[in-house]
Amino acid sequence: MTTIDRRPTPVTSIAHHTMPQPGPIARLFEPRRIGKMSPMTAFVVYGGLLFWTVIVVFPLYWLLVTSVKLPIDVNEGPRYLPFIDFQPSAHAWRYVFIDIGGDTFRPYVNSLIIATVSTVLAMLVGSMAAYALVRIEYRPSLGSIVMFLACLAAAIVAVVAAGVPWWIAAVGLVAVFLLLLRAIGRRFQRRLGNADIQFWIISQRILPPVVVALPIYVMFQNLGLLNTRTAFIITYATINLPIVVWLMHDFFASIPIDLEESAQLDGASRYRIFFDIVLPLAKPGIAATGLLVLVLAWNEYLLALFLSGADVQTMPLLVAAQNATRGPQWWYMSVLIVIMIVPVVTIALFLQRLIARGLLVGSVKG
Amino acid sequence: MRVTLDRLTKRFGTFTALHALSLTIEPGEFLVLLGPSGCGKTTALRMVAGLETVSEGAIQIGERDVTEVLPKYRDIAMVFQSYALYPHKTVAENIGYPLKLRRVPDPDRDQAVRQVAEQVRLDQLLDRYPRQLSGGQRQRVALARAIVRRPTVFLMDEPLSNLDAKLRVHMRAELKHMQHELGITTVYVTHDQVEAMTLAHRVAVLNNGRLQQLGTPREIYGDPANLFVAGFVGSPPMSFVDGALQSGRFVAPGADLAVGGSFDVRDAVLGIRAEDCQVVPRGAGKVRATVYSHELIGDHTLVMCQIGADSDASHTIAVKMDKAFEAEFGAEIDIDMAPAGLFIFDKKDGSRVRLPSA
Ligand SMILES: Nc1ncnc2c1ncn2[C@@H]1O[C@H](COP(=O)(O)OP(=O)(O)O)[C@@H](O)[C@H]1O
Ligand SMILES: [Mg+2]
Repeated sequence: MTTIDRRPTPVTSIAHHTMPQPGPIARLFEPRRIGKMSPMTAFVVYGGLLFWTVIVVFPLYWLLVTSVKLPIDVNEGPRYLPFIDFQPSAHAWRYVFIDIGGDTFRPYVNSLIIATVSTVLAMLVGSMAAYALVRIEYRPSLGSIVMFLACLAAAIVAVVAAGVPWWIAAVGLVAVFLLLLRAIGRRFQRRLGNADIQFWIISQRILPPVVVALPIYVMFQNLGLLNTRTAFIITYATINLPIVVWLMHDFFASIPIDLEESAQLDGASRYRIFFDIVLPLAKPGIAATGLLVLVLAWNEYLLALFLSGADVQTMPLLVAAQNATRGPQWWYMSVLIVIMIVPVVTIALFLQRLIARGLLVGSVKG
Repeated sequence: MRVTLDRLTKRFGTFTALHALSLTIEPGEFLVLLGPSGCGKTTALRMVAGLETVSEGAIQIGERDVTEVLPKYRDIAMVFQSYALYPHKTVAENIGYPLKLRRVPDPDRDQAVRQVAEQVRLDQLLDRYPRQLSGGQRQRVALARAIVRRPTVFLMDEPLSNLDAKLRVHMRAELKHMQHELGITTVYVTHDQVEAMTLAHRVAVLNNGRLQQLGTPREIYGDPANLFVAGFVGSPPMSFVDGALQSGRFVAPGADLAVGGSFDVRDAVLGIRAEDCQVVPRGAGKVRATVYSHELIGDHTLVMCQIGADSDASHTIAVKMDKAFEAEFGAEIDIDMAPAGLFIFDKKDGSRVRLPSA
């Protein structure tokens, strides 16, 4: 047996090698140490962040400052620093809270009630719809849908043109549709899937709201619900529903199905699984979506314009009303906007911790 | 309780994942479903659990037909490959969840959870969340959650595959011990033949959705039903040589062996395990070979020998030798094969050609 020669080959004289060193320009563009930013990168990053901070914070600052200015300080050009540029005054705050206190308070409570209730409603219905779209396979046949639309059109014609009472038309619609479905429903081959349903729901938001403003107005007028909180709540819950379905769909889809199957074997019912397992895990998603929808409802102006009346106003309308015949009352507007922002910012700060936390860590894999 | 699968078939669209699987799992038996990835093991297990609908066939637990029974009414516990721990519940809540759903009163539940946790040595970790546990600990939580309610059937889908090699060996022993102690009928899915051999009372080998062989680990190893089982089970895998069977002799480049009988098979495969071979000096054996490489495993040396190297159909044969074995790469040697260790397969369909001596 021969032995293998394991001695290393001797290094023949290679010119002595020095470590490369960065030049003066490279020093600017390369990090000094690993895990650090280069001076140029740091300059660009922090400069950009500072710039953006100013963009975001300045309007808020301007709002606060304006709310303590006298009209004369507003009208006489830009004044930035209280006590230096101008003498702050609480006159606008006094006016909003004391002089017209009731007229501020009522829209504020309206806005609070309408935004929260419509958000809860949209979240409840939207989450369940989103969950169903994630976990249950639907295969509605295209033919049946077309058939239903045809029946609906016939019913509308019957009501409008022939003067049939609407409830008879509705009963007839359901009866005829069900009969037809039984009779020829099996013939329809082409079927839609969950993705189609989801797209249909999202498509509700593609329409510009101004297009539906008038029909919504007429509808609530016929129902005698104009100028009520109910009308606002129904409308806002409806227009926010697609957003909830869309966002929550992704949150639910990210929950491993293993968890739900495991709960199934542990002996949980579908509802039990939804409330015990799925909802707690979707908390960050619920917080994020709920906040978004709440803000949308809180700030909504266009439809509010149509739905409101003497009794029921919301905050955006009140703010806009300060642009009155006497010209824009910037000081009052600022006060109103400040008190409008406060609850939303507070909620956002509370929810932020929840949103940022990944709840799924540790559920699966080693 | 006895679990009976009767011609169980699963189709996904036009693709058949499981072809008429018939199996009877005896009460208290540890049955392992073994097969390569994608052969339908998980599908079969999920059908038993009720998580997948049955395309054809039936499932019985005890005397009860459960083919269409909801999972929660089957009294089955399952350990998922991913463990599927509830991330927002503590270890204690995870383990106690099946009992909570069964409305077991709090004190009893606490006691049961504590007892099971002790059994799997988790009693110090009951207040932790899954994300604060190591892989092995998560595995034990999943196990504890499954055994806490004493199910009639226990299902496990590759429960050890996410653990590192050392922990796997350890958990294997724990699983076997626990199953023995509880005496619960268990179906265990794995693609790891070592796990199958060490854990099972009986192994069912699956390939392409079809049952290949059902038997004890000893039978599967020592008497494989076909080429697939022979090649899948054993480490190192059985070595194969293509050749022809001519009236009782197996002929291939570099090999001419009397195997008994008087069959003729034009395309035959000879199979031999490493421990049934010996490297002997040139001229002392039946098969001419050269040493391709050798690896010291610890208590033995694995010698990879090449036969028919100068022909266009060379084959590598693994030979198990003493740990003191040494040879040069390329050394010319012979291989001596124990007649009892020779298996002949028909290359056409992989079926075993039974030799008269065996
Ligand atoms: N829901 C499904 N839809 C379509 N094909 C599936 C589905 N689940 C599994 N399969 C297919 O069935 C086969 C068996 O899968 P599986 O039982 O998971 O294999 P494994 O033995 O690795 O556990 C695979 O080819 C897989 O692609
Ligand atoms: Mg699998």
